[in-house]
Amino acid sequence: MNAQIAWEVMKWPLAACLLLPPLLAYLGLHVVKREVIFVDLALAQVATLGTCVALLMGYHFDDRVTFWISLAVTFVGAAFFSWSRSTRKSEVPQEAIIGITFVVAAAGVILLLSRVAGGKEELEHLLTGDILNVTKGEVGQRVVLFGALGAFYGAFHRKFALISSDPARAFAQGMRVRLWDFLFYAAFAIVVVSFVRIAGVLLTFAYLIVPAVCGVMLARRWIHQLVVGWATAAVASLLGLWASYQMDLPTGAAIVGTCGLMLAVVAVAATLRPRAPA
Amino acid sequence: MNKLTAIKLATVALIALAGTAASSAARLRVVATTPDLAALAREIGGSAVEVTALAKPTEDPHYVDAKPSHIVTLNRADVLIEGGAELELGWLPPLLESARNSKIGSTAPGRVVASQGIRMAEIPTTFDRSRGDVHSLGNPHFLIDPLSAKVVAANIATHFAQADPASAALYRANLASFMARIDAKLRQWEGQLAPFRGAKIVTYHKDFVYFASRFGLEVLETLEPKPGIAPSPAHLAQVIGAMKAANARVILVQPYQNRRTAETVARQTGARVLDIAQQPGARRNTTTYFDMMDYMVTTLATALRGG
Ligand SMILES: [Zn+2]
Repeated sequence: MNAQIAWEVMKWPLAACLLLPPLLAYLGLHVVKREVIFVDLALAQVATLGTCVALLMGYHFDDRVTFWISLAVTFVGAAFFSWSRSTRKSEVPQEAIIGITFVVAAAGVILLLSRVAGGKEELEHLLTGDILNVTKGEVGQRVVLFGALGAFYGAFHRKFALISSDPARAFAQGMRVRLWDFLFYAAFAIVVVSFVRIAGVLLTFAYLIVPAVCGVMLARRWIHQLVVGWATAAVASLLGLWASYQMDLPTGAAIVGTCGLMLAVVAVAATLRPRAPA
Repeated sequence: MNKLTAIKLATVALIALAGTAASSAARLRVVATTPDLAALAREIGGSAVEVTALAKPTEDPHYVDAKPSHIVTLNRADVLIEGGAELELGWLPPLLESARNSKIGSTAPGRVVASQGIRMAEIPTTFDRSRGDVHSLGNPHFLIDPLSAKVVAANIATHFAQADPASAALYRANLASFMARIDAKLRQWEGQLAPFRGAKIVTYHKDFVYFASRFGLEVLETLEPKPGIAPSPAHLAQVIGAMKAANARVILVQPYQNRRTAETVARQTGARVLDIAQQPGARRNTTTYFDMMDYMVTTLATALRGG
C-alpha cells in the first residue's frame, strides 16, 4: 500500500477528524464545567433515536428527511434538558434525568430497530458510524455549518461561559438563563446530529469529552484548556487514522481507542506536573 | 547483418521481453465481494488472475464492516464481482464511491453482477419499502445451487475475456472444465441427498432456499420473520408449532447468526442445531467451491440421517 493510495483513501476522514472536533471540544468544555458529562451521550443517543424513527417510517439513512426528523427529535431532547435544569437545589439531580434519558433513548432505538430490516446491524452502524466512507460533500457541509455555529458560540461566549461555570451568578445578574440554556442546547443538538450521522455515537462522545477533560486536567483558563483540547483531538485523530490504515482496523473505533490512550498520557502528565495557579 | 538491422532486432527482442515480463507480472486483479464468488473467479481465472474477497468467510454478506483495505483493494481492481440483487446494498456502494475506480463502474466491462441471468426466487409481488426486508429484489443466496454457479461462472468468464483478451483462451478452457466437473459432482451430491427427499429443515435466514429446491428438501420456516428482521417471540412460537406439527428435526445456523435463538427453539422442539457455513474458507479444507459443496452436502446428509 503506497502513500498515494493511503492519502486517497484517508484524506476525507482526515479532514473530518481535524476540522470538526475543535467545536466539539469547545462544547465538551461547557459540558464538563456544568458537570453534566452524559448530556453528550444522551443527546447523541436521542439523535440516533430520531434517525431510527425516520428509518421506521421508511426513509433511508442518507435521506435529507432523516436528518430533519433526527434534528426535530433532538430539539425536543434539548428543550427537555434546558427545562429540567434548575438553580434551586432539587431532590433529583440533573445527572439522574440525563442518565434516564440516555437509557430510555437507547432502549427506544432497540425497539424501533427490531422492526427494521437488518436492524441489529444498523444498530451497530449507528453506534460506530462510518467515518471511513465520509465524502467531500459531507465534510464540506459540516465545515460550513460548524463554522457558523462556532461564530455563534464565539459571539456569545461570555454569556455561555458564565451560565456554565457559575449559574447562580448568572441568575443573580438577571440573565434569562433558561432561554440562553435552550439556545446553547439547540445549537449543541445541531452539532451532535450532524456529527453523529458521519461518525456514530461513540466517536461523537469521545470527541466531545476526551479533549475537554484533557484540557481541564492540564490548564485553568478557557483558552488554554481549549488549546490543549484541540491538540489532544488532533493527535488522537492522526494516531487513530494511522492505526486504522496500517493495521486495517475499523476507523471510528480506532480513533476512540487513541482518544482513550491520549487521556491516559495526559493524566500521567498532569500528575507529574503540578498545576500552576491561574 | 548491418548495424541498423541489429538495432531493429535488438529493439524487437527487448519489446518482446518486456511484453512477456509485463504479462506474467500483470495478472488481472479481481475483487469479489464474498468468498464464494472469489472461489468461482479462481476456477475461471486460474493463474491469470489474482483474486481478493472483501467479506470474510464468517461474515454476513449483507453486512460487512468497512475497512481501509477494502477501499484500497477496490481502487486497484481490474474486475469487481458482486452478488447483486441488493446482497451488498448495505455496505458496497459507499466503499465504491470512496474507491473511485472507473474500471469497475456500474456499467464498465470490469463489473460482474452475478445475479444477472439467474432465475431469482422469492421476488416480492408487492413492493413496500417501509415494511420491506433485505431481499427486496428476490433471494440473493443463489450460489449454493450448482446450476446457478454454472451461470455465474460463464458470466465471469465472459467479463474476464473482455478485460484481458490475451488470456481469453485460458478462461474458456477453465470454464469448460468447471462446467464438466460441476455436472459430474452434481450427480454425486444428488445421490447423497436422495434418501432425504422431502425432508423439512429450518434455517435462521432465507439462505438455503436454492439449495433446498435443487436437492428436494423443504425449508419449513425461518427463525427470522422476514429476511433481516430479528426473531420476535410471537414468530418463534409459531415456528415451534410448525416444527412440531411437521416433525422438522434440523435447524441450520451459520457462523454469523444467533445460535442462541436456534438453541431455544431446539429445546422446545427436540430438534438439533446444525452449525453450517456457506462460504468457502469458513471451515477448514474448504477453499474451493467443490470443497464447500462437498462439506455442506455431507454435513447435512449426516444430520438428516440423525448422526
Ligand atoms: Zn439474505
